[in-house]
Amino acid sequence: MIEVAGLTKMYGQRAAVGGISFSVSKGEIAGFLGPNGAGKTTTMRMLTGYVTPTSGTARVAGFDVQDAPIEAKRRIGYLPEHPPLYREMVVRPFLRFVAALRGVPRKEMDGRVDRAVERCGLGPVAGRLIGNLSKGYQQRVGLAQAILHEPDVLILDEPTVGLDPSQIREIRQLIKSFAGEHTVILSTHILAEVTMTCNRVLIINEGRIAADETMETMAARGGSTRRVALRLARVADATEGQIRTIPGVLDVKREDGQDGSFVVETEGARDVREQIAERAVTQGWGLLEMRPVTRSLEDIFIGIIKGEVEGAA
Amino acid sequence: MKNILVIAWRETRTYFTSPLAYVVIGVFVGLSGYIFWTHLVLYSEFCLRYGGSPYFQNQLNVNDRVIRPLFGSMGVIFLLMTPVVSMRLFAEEKKSGTAELLFTCPVTTAQVIVGKFLGAASLFVVMIGVTIAYPVLILASNTSPEMKPTLVGYLGVFLMALSFLSLGLLISAMTENQIIAAVGAFGASLAFWILPWIAESATITLAGAMNWLTFGLWEKLHLGLGGPTLGDFLTKLSFINHLEDFRKGLFDTEHLVFYVSVVFFSLFLTQRVLDSPRWRG
Repeated sequence: MIEVAGLTKMYGQRAAVGGISFSVSKGEIAGFLGPNGAGKTTTMRMLTGYVTPTSGTARVAGFDVQDAPIEAKRRIGYLPEHPPLYREMVVRPFLRFVAALRGVPRKEMDGRVDRAVERCGLGPVAGRLIGNLSKGYQQRVGLAQAILHEPDVLILDEPTVGLDPSQIREIRQLIKSFAGEHTVILSTHILAEVTMTCNRVLIINEGRIAADETMETMAARGGSTRRVALRLARVADATEGQIRTIPGVLDVKREDGQDGSFVVETEGARDVREQIAERAVTQGWGLLEMRPVTRSLEDIFIGIIKGEVEGAA
Repeated sequence: MKNILVIAWRETRTYFTSPLAYVVIGVFVGLSGYIFWTHLVLYSEFCLRYGGSPYFQNQLNVNDRVIRPLFGSMGVIFLLMTPVVSMRLFAEEKKSGTAELLFTCPVTTAQVIVGKFLGAASLFVVMIGVTIAYPVLILASNTSPEMKPTLVGYLGVFLMALSFLSLGLLISAMTENQIIAAVGAFGASLAFWILPWIAESATITLAGAMNWLTFGLWEKLHLGLGGPTLGDFLTKLSFINHLEDFRKGLFDTEHLVFYVSVVFFSLFLTQRVLDSPRWRG
């Protein structure tokens, strides 16, 4: 549905986006993840034809965004970072205006607008001035404006910014409901958002793709060792060395924050928790807590950004 | 065409749902109405005093005495007020981010420009439309202005207002700051307005200028140094000079072509300005 090849945008000597390539197939929800200034917004602007790439091509639904802009734009619904709203307009007329511009036929106009209003939960504010709405509702009007014409491709730049937790949940549900019929690209710097809504993640850093994986392979990364967090009541100097002698334990680190806290790194194939517990009882350490530490997406993300983990792009 | 109308209609609604349109129309009607009234009072006094004198008989023409000066004043008011109308056209869209919506919708830049131009022009139609009351008011007295020259005068004022508007639109497309757009539009309009003052001192002939530019080669080629002066040329570009005949009620296509060209050229440049990131890469 979306094919991007060697897309580059130079601002003077600085490359905002430096030759990225990827493709997203129909029905996928792909998340653009990256720190601020990584080139997420610029990439999205090039996909929607708002910014002209210095080189490279972007095709949406088979149409080149530069060569056949009108055809490509017809198939895109776009929510920019700052929702593009005419503050002096009322919600419903605004949606009708956008629908008309996006080429929705007059006969279907009312139906489409009603549907978008309903899906984005705008019913209670449909007759109010956009400028008077709260940030959350403005964001929803922005989203409604993007889905009005039932586009093949939805491009959402930080769709949940500025919303309260319950609204974030609703918007995520809404985005998930697009999976299958629409192709969705959303950008965010919130990791949880990707975990919850996307089935594919593209990590962008300094204008390049650092990783392009499905959520499953991403989660499976870094699985060669296991970690166990321990908390003991009575700790002697020898304790650390004694844990080390347990078979299968590779490394033991003292946690700085709390007294008696350790992180034990073990071989991936062996679960040594039982042995640790036994040893703790026989030695009288007073085991207070023991839990497995799974490597979170956050660790993986930070690892990739810092270049510690090899990207699979 | 449908896209143009959709954009134009939204633009018109924006003017009329904000106080802007009413303030602009109110000030315009107030000023032009006062000017109309003073001219009318002067004219009627003149008629009372000299109505019987055969010497002044041919000077007591209501078109010349009331309507013609009225169009001149309207031109000045438009010069001062058009920047206020035109400043927000693109600057505001860029500032508020709605430009990103417009230019990612399946519409061309040209459609957006023409739509916005027509939307703002509709405000001028209303402004001028309201002043049709003035000649109608004269009709209610026992004198009657000639209608055809009056309508030609209206056409002239409207064309000049559209020229100002197109200049303002062009400058609004260059910035996202509305104040800069307004000041720039006013400066550009005023520059075209006062061209005849500069023209008076520009007595060098065009051929002479070419001779100077080519280090005397022009003269050596016997191309001649006579002909129109630079001043003549500048005068042709002046906005008021082209209004002069319209005010008299003379319809000359020269002036029509001038104003229409200014509009087209400005809109064309606007399109170049907005599309320039595309070919600059």
